[in-house]
Amino acid sequence: MEFKDYYGILGVERSATEDEIKRAYKKLARKFHPDVSKEANAEARFKEVGEAYKVLKNPETRAAYDRVGRQWKPGQDFQPPPDWDAGFEFSGGDPGSANGGNFSDFFESLFGGRASHAQTHRHAMHAQGQDHHAKVLIDLQDAYRGAQRSISLQMPMLDAEGRLTTRERTLNVSIPQGVREGQHLRLAGQGGPGLGQGPAGDLYLEIAFRPHPHFRADGRDVYFDLPISPWEAALGATVAAPTPAGPVQLSIPSGSAMGRKLRLKGKGIPGDPPGDLYAVLIIALPPANSEATKDAYRAMQMAFNFNPRADLEG
Amino acid sequence: MHEPTMTYLQGQVVEEDIPLTLAELCHTCGIAVEHVTTWVVEGVLEPIGQTPQEWQFGGASLRRARLALRLSQDLEINAAGVALALDLLDEIDELRARLAHSGRG
Repeated sequence: MEFKDYYGILGVERSATEDEIKRAYKKLARKFHPDVSKEANAEARFKEVGEAYKVLKNPETRAAYDRVGRQWKPGQDFQPPPDWDAGFEFSGGDPGSANGGNFSDFFESLFGGRASHAQTHRHAMHAQGQDHHAKVLIDLQDAYRGAQRSISLQMPMLDAEGRLTTRERTLNVSIPQGVREGQHLRLAGQGGPGLGQGPAGDLYLEIAFRPHPHFRADGRDVYFDLPISPWEAALGATVAAPTPAGPVQLSIPSGSAMGRKLRLKGKGIPGDPPGDLYAVLIIALPPANSEATKDAYRAMQMAFNFNPRADLEG
Repeated sequence: MHEPTMTYLQGQVVEEDIPLTLAELCHTCGIAVEHVTTWVVEGVLEPIGQTPQEWQFGGASLRRARLALRLSQDLEINAAGVALALDLLDEIDELRARLAHSGRG
């Protein structure tokens, strides 16, 4: 287990005031919030920053951490010394009890022991179980055709001693045709167990598409880049193109410019109404890598009185 | 767990098949009624129906409510701030989509 430098993570001095710590945390939390940030490791950074703040915002846990921290450097192998927290009194709010876990091993080793007790008290009552949420990645083709998929979910659970663990379970799920990114599939009774005689909660699966090398979905509509040659763009042509709904013949109108969108009505994600499929024309230049092809370019140069930079002048 | 034949769970697409009532939306997201009513006032959620008892939340409501909940909890943003953030996120999504549609970049 690595020692975590919570001050370094928040970018503050060890002598920082509570206000400075709070300001640093707020700024980083906004920057790395996974719903807002497009940074690659936003979610991991957001958790790390939250963990650091959870410890440093509370004078009690901060003092305990400081006492341990004097002897370790960031990244160094860490074992909590026995009785490291002796002499510190932690008032009511357990540092680890919010958000149901997901802290680093380092955090759990220091603050985790106390963390779970608060959650183990259950009232003797009957109520519907909690609804659970999970995100699943499916292929765009699954939305076109419908599919049957096995989905593995990590479920946080409290074990007999009230510690937080994760349990993996596999669900076989029918993906309905026409489902779109951001929609939710409700699986009745697959959420948390009910309390007492209460029914189980539901499981909501938020649908996201696995990135596809060619096709991009936007709601019901789907886009892809269709490379064509300069002569196909200039003279028009009929070309074959693969689509998620199967291969199609597309006619390219003569005089097509780069970026022109050709709409295939109703070939987007199925539904009522179905979406459209758009081919975005990309003009690919053939390489001049032989005498014959170089001659062809020279012939073009002779035939056209063409100045592509005409707009730049004047 | 060990059935000899595979059975596949049939789900319902919330956005298409089942508009949620106020109580259902609150239970699904694990939030208090007051949260949802404030978000409706701020325009984060736009249910159909006049009174809270008649409200029906369809379309993107579930996704927006969960997003609003995460933003207000994680960043301690108030309802007006959440509304502004969601509007801006929508706008960014739209711009990103437009960028992606114009091909190669």
